[in-house]
Amino acid sequence: MTIDRLSHSKIQRGVGRMLLYVFALVSTLFIMLPIYIMIILAIQPSSVVFAGGRVNILISDLTLGNFIELIETTDTVQYFLNSLIVAGSSTVLSTAIAVTAGYGLTRFQFRGKSYFARGILFTYMFSPIVLAIPLYIIFFSLGLLNSYFGLVLGLTAISTPFAVWLMWQYFQSIPISLEESAWTRGASQLRALWDIVLPVARPGYISAAIFSFAVSWNDFTMVRVVIDDANKYTITVGASLFLGRTEIGWGETMAVAVLMCLPPFLIVLFLQNYLLQGFDIGGLE
Amino acid sequence: MVSRIQSTIRSRLPTGRANWELLVLFITLAPVFIFFFVIWVIPITYAIALSLFQSPVQDPELVLFGNYIELLTEDAFQQFFLNSAFYALSTTLLSLILGLGLALAINKKLRGGFALRTMMIFPYLIPTIVVVFMWKFMLDQNVGIVNQALLDLELIEGPIAFFATRRWAMSSVIVTSVWKYFAFAFFILLGRLQTIDPHLYERARTEGATTWQAFRDITIPHLRDTILIIVLVRGIWMFNKFDIIWLSTKGGPLNATTTFPIRVYELAFFEIEFGSATALATIMFIILSTGAVVYFRYFNPEQEVTA
Repeated sequence: MTIDRLSHSKIQRGVGRMLLYVFALVSTLFIMLPIYIMIILAIQPSSVVFAGGRVNILISDLTLGNFIELIETTDTVQYFLNSLIVAGSSTVLSTAIAVTAGYGLTRFQFRGKSYFARGILFTYMFSPIVLAIPLYIIFFSLGLLNSYFGLVLGLTAISTPFAVWLMWQYFQSIPISLEESAWTRGASQLRALWDIVLPVARPGYISAAIFSFAVSWNDFTMVRVVIDDANKYTITVGASLFLGRTEIGWGETMAVAVLMCLPPFLIVLFLQNYLLQGFDIGGLE
Repeated sequence: MVSRIQSTIRSRLPTGRANWELLVLFITLAPVFIFFFVIWVIPITYAIALSLFQSPVQDPELVLFGNYIELLTEDAFQQFFLNSAFYALSTTLLSLILGLGLALAINKKLRGGFALRTMMIFPYLIPTIVVVFMWKFMLDQNVGIVNQALLDLELIEGPIAFFATRRWAMSSVIVTSVWKYFAFAFFILLGRLQTIDPHLYERARTEGATTWQAFRDITIPHLRDTILIIVLVRGIWMFNKFDIIWLSTKGGPLNATTTFPIRVYELAFFEIEFGSATALATIMFIILSTGAVVYFRYFNPEQEVTA
């Protein structure tokens, strides 16, 4: 190898690195700019943001006026509470199913288990709108339309497949010997499950719960289909109706947008230590 | 099946324990089986059955494949299919390019890489409706900053109503969707990149390979299967996407962004044709199943948990 060739490849590496830097910079701008714009619109008076007939990128005046206006003129608080109730219930149901199923599927062998695994993955790839149409008709004939019970079932249907998958993988990382030693000391299987397995599985089910919450909090389709009564709208459906209303300006629109971002961000902020690598990888639908 | 389980358990454990095991088996597995049966198997079977009827809810009349023939011969069907395919393909490929570029950059341990990695989770955490609000503003005709920038640079003569013109609506929805969904490709690719043995690159470097050669001969072969999985899974998800398109354009203007999921919704809730709606849903189900079969055949994902 000659010196020439070495320095040549060094230059090339430098150029490659530069290109990556530029790409990373442009992409970061693409990702962060809309978030930044949302925030500056939400926390400043519209007259300041739009002063001079154009959007001013710099922050010059802070106010909570948009939030106050939003809360006074719309049913945002009601929608927000509805969302918390619905997403919370669905999270509990989905996580409970995932924990029990994950444990049972790991510890017991039976024929057709691999078909069940495929079935779960298949439903995870399924389109919520395709599921929502028959559910609408079924809920209609059972009188479950416009009920939180029906809505929670529908939302849980969307989040459960991945939650089960996550717990199934997680329980496999917990050796059965942990339980066996408890059994030999006379603990029943349920006792061992409750006292020994569940604490060890905490990162798993916290991740499953975060995923389920994010899915239900974000959902628009199922709520739109199942709920017709404006008093029962969740925040996503409620806020979607703001866009067409002339008395709601961009300031209030972005204020409700910021409010909608808060729960998922706060949850991840406080529970990030529990987040599994697996959540990053599979839970991004 | 139960007796088989019982006998395998019996052979392993003393009798008292075996009864416990059986109880635990039922307690743990009954909920998931019942739930999947009630909320997935029944509705999907029901939907397929409904697709064989005309106005199945109000005044059912068995038409067998009548709904399907009507759908497939509808003038706009081809456009709906092309819209769906174009939307799914372009969002998937653009997400892949953005995700791969960023994953490569962060994997190179650029300064600020950790902060960058954390930021990439933001679009995932931000609800779809908020993403639509953001891009509706960014691309707004009157106040949007994209128009403002393009006008400042004198690239356009007048502001463009991005979401409301036939020429730009689909591209606008695609940009919005890529922003929201690229993180999936990013995190999977970054995870895979971090498992590549760094010695491979060192050796290539000492042997005088250029960055491009190392990328082509080491990185790409290691990522190939991962990229295929992303294209397949992300592609299926995007083909099925309803909310982000509906919230952005409702399928308009003039069907320019009407994909199959949008059409299913219109058929069911605007035209109140549940027969046709479920027939189109079934067609989507068949297309999806084909994709899923390819996925299961080549990647055996279920081995992850059953092995």
